[in-house]
Amino acid sequence: MKNFIGSRALPEIAYHRPPDLAGLLNLLAKVDGDLKIVAGCTDFIPAMRSGNWGFADGLNVIDIKGVRELAGIRLEGDRLVIGAGTRLVDVAQSEEVRENAPVLSEAVAQMASPQVRNIATIGGNLSMASPAADTAPPLLCLDAEVTVRGPETQETVPLTRFFLGPGTTRMKPREVLTEIRFPILKKNEAAQRVRLGLRTAFVCSIISVAARVRWDGKTITDARIAMGAVAPTPIRVTGAETFLVGTDGSETALAEAAAKAAAEITPISDLRASAEYRKAMAETLTRRMLTRCIQNLAA
Amino acid sequence: MKVSVHLKVNGQEHDIDVDSRSTLLEVLRETLGLTSVHRSCEEGECGACTILFNGEPVSSCLVLAAAADGAEILTTEGLKRGETLHPLMESFLEHHGLQCGFCTPGLLMTAYALIEKTNGGQITETEIRKGIEGNICRCTGYMNIVKAIQAAMEARRAGNWW
Repeated sequence: MKNFIGSRALPEIAYHRPPDLAGLLNLLAKVDGDLKIVAGCTDFIPAMRSGNWGFADGLNVIDIKGVRELAGIRLEGDRLVIGAGTRLVDVAQSEEVRENAPVLSEAVAQMASPQVRNIATIGGNLSMASPAADTAPPLLCLDAEVTVRGPETQETVPLTRFFLGPGTTRMKPREVLTEIRFPILKKNEAAQRVRLGLRTAFVCSIISVAARVRWDGKTITDARIAMGAVAPTPIRVTGAETFLVGTDGSETALAEAAAKAAAEITPISDLRASAEYRKAMAETLTRRMLTRCIQNLAA
Repeated sequence: MKVSVHLKVNGQEHDIDVDSRSTLLEVLRETLGLTSVHRSCEEGECGACTILFNGEPVSSCLVLAAAADGAEILTTEGLKRGETLHPLMESFLEHHGLQCGFCTPGLLMTAYALIEKTNGGQITETEIRKGIEGNICRCTGYMNIVKAIQAAMEARRAGNWW
């Protein structure tokens, strides 16, 4: 039986592939009925098959892979700008990202599999808003901003205000994420990240931690600690961040910051890990990432 | 809804009308009869359906056929020359890089792209294992797959390749 998985029929979809941004915005303004913007489809197709989204027949699927304006990585002064439609493989292998924000390229290089990275996009990962989205902690620790466009609107917001809950962003149905931008890592800064998973590839992170530290030679002058898979959305643990500023970056200070970070989160237990494990790992990994940052900076 | 796509598959041009709900896996396997492309998890988590899409390994179950318009696809049917096995395939046979064979076509395509990308250069075992991390094998434990790939790279350097 075609187009059946078990007893569930796939809904009819109307496929659109706008050739450019103007075409995309026009479709968003004019197309009739429900719509879904897709790029790599690495989340979309499995979701469609599982029936989790309950699409009705006639869903408009708007494929943005052909929209050239949405893909690409460029340096704009001291900021890196990444088009939302940029493939994960291109983010991971980009010289600009490796040199200026290796905390992001390293995280992306570990996502899913080579096959998935060859088609999935950074904008898609953010838009799906999984609490465990692996592009999010590095981008949060880099103070990333995202631009969202609708047919008549354009808004740039800090990534901290983009996620509203599991699977939900502030975007309205006829809006699209167009680009992500963040300041490049400065010489007096270091950033480190890590994620835990049940295996090496195809991992839904149990917990991910990304930290960035700014150092003046004696004290920490700024800090960011971001985590994934420990809250309804990717988050920053701002209490621990504030504590770190003005400290001497010693083992004691970092240990206390890590303990504060773990105390700030209320993770859940799910099929991948218990809440207790996530809390324990939050502390260990935060301490480890902060330690590596200080080691890089003091060297 | 029917969508017209143009595909170049294993060197042959095709114009096909596909259902907008079809995946590339379904079109390659069922419409074009390329049964080396295996239906496995159908959610992009095993790599058994891997084909080369414009030279890059992609899980064909994750590509809407409608989105594949204009693409160049390579499957194991296209690696062979008639009935002659590709040196990569010979290497898998010689080094026991397969047992049941179900993951093998997908692995061959991933390995082929990986080897091509090295362009004769050296890569470490860690890099090989990283390169094939998107292809799950339940039979071999991967050791012989890695050996087969290393031997195939030697074959390529020696000029026994296409």
